[in-house]
Amino acid sequence: MDFASEMILSTIRMATPILLVALAELYSERAGLVNIGLDGIMTFGALAGFMICYLTGDPYLGIMAGAFGGVLINMIYAFCTITLRAEQIVYGMAINIFAPAVAAFIYRVYFGVSSTLAQGTLMAPLAIPLLKDIPFIGKILFNQTPMVYFAYLMVVFTAVFFSKTKAGLNYKAVGEFPRAAETLGINVIRQKYIAAIICGAMAGIGGAYLTTCYVNTYSDGIVAGRGFIALSAVIFGRWSSSGVLLACLLFGFFDALQLNLQVMNNSTPYQLFQMIPYLCTLVALSVFGIRRAGPKSSGKPYYREER
Amino acid sequence: MKKVLTLILVLAMVLSLAACGSPASAPADSTNPEASSAESDASADGTNFKVAMVCDSSISDGGWGAACYNAMVAAAEDLGWESQYTDSIDVADYVSAIESYCQLGYDMIFLPGNQYSDATVQVAKDYPDICFAVLNGSEDLPTDNIMSMLPNAQEIGWIAGSLAGLMSETGVLGFIGGMELDTTKTKLASYEEAAKVVNPDITVLSAYAGSFNDTAKGVELAKSMINQDADVFFGDASAVDSGARQAIDEANGDGEIAIYDIGQPADLLGQNPCVISSVVTDNAGMLKICMQAVADDIFGNEVIYGSLENGCLSVGQINTELVSQEVQDAFMGYVEQMKNGEFIK
Repeated sequence: MDFASEMILSTIRMATPILLVALAELYSERAGLVNIGLDGIMTFGALAGFMICYLTGDPYLGIMAGAFGGVLINMIYAFCTITLRAEQIVYGMAINIFAPAVAAFIYRVYFGVSSTLAQGTLMAPLAIPLLKDIPFIGKILFNQTPMVYFAYLMVVFTAVFFSKTKAGLNYKAVGEFPRAAETLGINVIRQKYIAAIICGAMAGIGGAYLTTCYVNTYSDGIVAGRGFIALSAVIFGRWSSSGVLLACLLFGFFDALQLNLQVMNNSTPYQLFQMIPYLCTLVALSVFGIRRAGPKSSGKPYYREER
Repeated sequence: MKKVLTLILVLAMVLSLAACGSPASAPADSTNPEASSAESDASADGTNFKVAMVCDSSISDGGWGAACYNAMVAAAEDLGWESQYTDSIDVADYVSAIESYCQLGYDMIFLPGNQYSDATVQVAKDYPDICFAVLNGSEDLPTDNIMSMLPNAQEIGWIAGSLAGLMSETGVLGFIGGMELDTTKTKLASYEEAAKVVNPDITVLSAYAGSFNDTAKGVELAKSMINQDADVFFGDASAVDSGARQAIDEANGDGEIAIYDIGQPADLLGQNPCVISSVVTDNAGMLKICMQAVADDIFGNEVIYGSLENGCLSVGQINTELVSQEVQDAFMGYVEQMKNGEFIK
């Protein structure tokens, strides 16, 4: 396969998990919930997905389990920040510490400590009829796992939902000015819980993607900071789904590029290449400016009876 | 009801923070049901020795961490010691994790890697009565209470390199490292060196994942190398290597296996179809020498070498379906030369 198509494939593979999780964060922040616990939710989703996929041999059940596991973990965060109105950053961080530890514990209890590696099955790619016959693009873009299509369809759906539908505008109002939303009859608390469920499910799916579509094993630390990259992709993408998509593709592309450059130039210190994705993020941020454009009441707890 | 639920959730949070956030206060008690598997009766002379391992990768990674943990358990069981571990810790927590075991009165701390050297030196000064054994520690590391265990990285690279050189059809080899550690650099250099002795036209592609856990990076790096015609792989990156093996298996598909992998540090034959052999390091053997030194009260100021000569390094099982008899004979000939110090002078 030639270099260009390999690069595109590699970019898509690397960008998809980040994209799924960045969309999760977008749904959360649009309802005023800054969730920095994505890394933790992803880890738990990755484990749940792997376990179910390993036990049943069905990657689709694995994805569902990942979504369910993600929701379960995120409900701790939701209860503490919405009902108890606790500090969101603190509880996000707590999730980041708590969830990977639980995942490691479950994996170890079930598989024990051995040098033999548990390997699950991977989701098979699904070629889309007609579209896959387009020369060059068809083979690259339309012969992916269904989860990749799901991620990109979610981008379109999210864009339409937030700008064209009444439900979406109501949703956004909760993140912008919850008291005004409440006076207009929107149930803010319920909306925030719905947001937390969507966020948990999507982040869990992002984690499960890693272990059911990408690699067939689970190991502690498999998420490797992707949750935090997703978090920055939302800020980079200025809280819009197309911006988030661009940010994720950009990061995926530069990560793929640095790995390929490393293989091709053995004499150059590899640390230089590893800086590329982060340097590009920095440069892009400084070009686009870091003016705050997010939901106005993001990060603030909502007190219904506050004056 | 609401209050009770709140209380439970808060408790769960606090406990999880205490258990996972600071290994210093609770060395993994909550996360390792099997930790004290070696909790056997006191050793012969009536004192009960204890050894602890502090590790940055996971002990269930099916690679480096697992091999080191199993080595410790095996050595501890043989000598009747108690064993304990803390794993998946960050660089920032090395010192506090090691210190907490010192405070708990462990006789020996086992540190499976060169990356713990600085933390070990820092802690060892304050605990002169406790022995520290650093695997892959450098030759100038040992002090009165620090010992290095040094598997011969050059021989490891040579063994893998000579087999890779014999097996390669395309003349391109791959090497995936986790981080640029001294031992990894030596393995890479001698891997290339040995492959070139066997076949002067060999080129070696190498890359670092920058992590020992990011399995997906292993997939990407291996795919990229396969794209550049690499057909025999060797690696030094724990879980990242398993990603590389997955990518190799995918590239081989259902047909004939034409891209191979050489495993380390345990015998990985059978884990993936592409594995042709492994370079096996007997960490338990070296660890036992250290533990015996602790028991005999002669610990310190010494480097324990693991090499082909003393049997702490060996060639794992060979996949006889993929490796022809001639190649096996030639390979074993090279290994014999290494053992006698005649391979590369």
